[in-house]
Amino acid sequence: MPIVIFELPDGTQRKVTADSGTVLMQAAVSNGVDGIVAECGGNASCATCHVYVDERHGELVGPPNDVEDEMLDFTAAERRPTSRLSCQVQVSDALDGLVVHIPEEQV
Amino acid sequence: MSTLMAAAPGAPVVELDLAELRDDPYPAYAELRRTAPLAWVPSVGRHLLTRYEDIVRAEKLPEVFSSREEGSLLLRTVGPNLLREDDPEHRRLRAAAEPPTRPRQVRDLWAGTFERNAHDLLDRIAGRGEGDLIGDFAEPLAAANLAVVLGLRNASADDISDWSRAMMAANGNYADDPDIWLRAEQATRAIEDAVAEMAEAARREPDGSVISSMVHAADPVELTEIQNNIKVIIGGGVNEPRDVFGVGAQALLRRPDVRDRVVADAGLWKRVFEETARWISPIGIYPRQLTQDYEIAGVALPAGSRVALVIASGNRDESVFERADEFDIDRPHRPHLAFGGGPHFCMGAWVARHEVSALAWPLVFSRLKGLRLVEGADDRMEGWVFRGLTSLNVTWQA
Repeated sequence: MPIVIFELPDGTQRKVTADSGTVLMQAAVSNGVDGIVAECGGNASCATCHVYVDERHGELVGPPNDVEDEMLDFTAAERRPTSRLSCQVQVSDALDGLVVHIPEEQV
Repeated sequence: MSTLMAAAPGAPVVELDLAELRDDPYPAYAELRRTAPLAWVPSVGRHLLTRYEDIVRAEKLPEVFSSREEGSLLLRTVGPNLLREDDPEHRRLRAAAEPPTRPRQVRDLWAGTFERNAHDLLDRIAGRGEGDLIGDFAEPLAAANLAVVLGLRNASADDISDWSRAMMAANGNYADDPDIWLRAEQATRAIEDAVAEMAEAARREPDGSVISSMVHAADPVELTEIQNNIKVIIGGGVNEPRDVFGVGAQALLRRPDVRDRVVADAGLWKRVFEETARWISPIGIYPRQLTQDYEIAGVALPAGSRVALVIASGNRDESVFERADEFDIDRPHRPHLAFGGGPHFCMGAWVARHEVSALAWPLVFSRLKGLRLVEGADDRMEGWVFRGLTSLNVTWQA
């Protein structure tokens, strides 16, 4: 199972094991990673599980889907080219070692 | 699954008076959080779950805390609808109805009309120098905006308001008053007729509205389903923006220092919105029913147990929000529960945020100069299932 790393705004890192076939947000929430609120539980309707994919891994994760792209315009923290909603990022073995950065604000 | 209309073995039983809850539920909630965070309340016919962490846990477990509650007041009022369904049925209906309420659609399709509606209402009252910001502004604004988003061009703002009030009364009709049921039936029949007419129009000519979106959904939706879900949206879609507007406006008028900061820095309106929704949750409570045995807040609940998630109480939980009873836009940020969570996260959240915090408050506070509360006015906060101001009497320079 892939290991993914959530980096908090203060620079500390949380390494968690993510289950292939789930989404990145679930890995964060089930491991109690601070800063991933996920109010809507993964339905791309609240924009509170925003992450910045580390620039080294952008291609690995790919671009947002259409609904996600819309929601990303309304995140609490600024949108960047590497912004994703973690509830829309499917976990697979290919993501092993992925680093994502958690923004300061989610709501 | 059978419905258990009684206390779970081991659950504390706490008597609460419905009239007292309507007046001010917060002292009772504080006591429950402290002494009985899962308590059977006979007058409500449910176990009330009152601590923040427990509510969040329940919201994230829709497969255990089901929205399909037997004997639900909402089901009786409007018929089967997405709020009382679980996924995948809930998802099918939500996917059909949701696109017009997403933030970009709100900005691109509806914001201009919302702004005109607000200006029209202010034009009507600006020369008077006094008024009730609930009855004269917030309620007709929320109703007019809702008619646009839903695609009910054949209904006036007054129609929408009347229907909403009748259904919301039925929804909170824990006392089983027959007159309340009758008024709700009249309202829901009128909505069915109005929706049928506009669904037919949208079939011929899509207009981006919720009715149009449901008519043209990829996964087909029946007319009855459109009608019932529009009823639900009319129920919540008026009172939530109206109540957030009223409560937040009153809080600012009582705190001129905060008002001055917000008026000078438009970026703060968002914080006023989220803090107001936390402080007085317009929807205070919603029901769930257990699909399996489950232990929460130290009580083993059998399958079929009825539970109410008291989000108004979670939003005042001192372990999460310091000085939780105070309105404070500068408090350290923790997510509030006012929009609910999980798959049922409020579909109207983006609409309400825009119409209230980007438009209604800034326009009222900039156009009505010298706005102040009328001293001694009987502006009461009322309700516990739904809570808001009955009126907000103010004066300004005409």
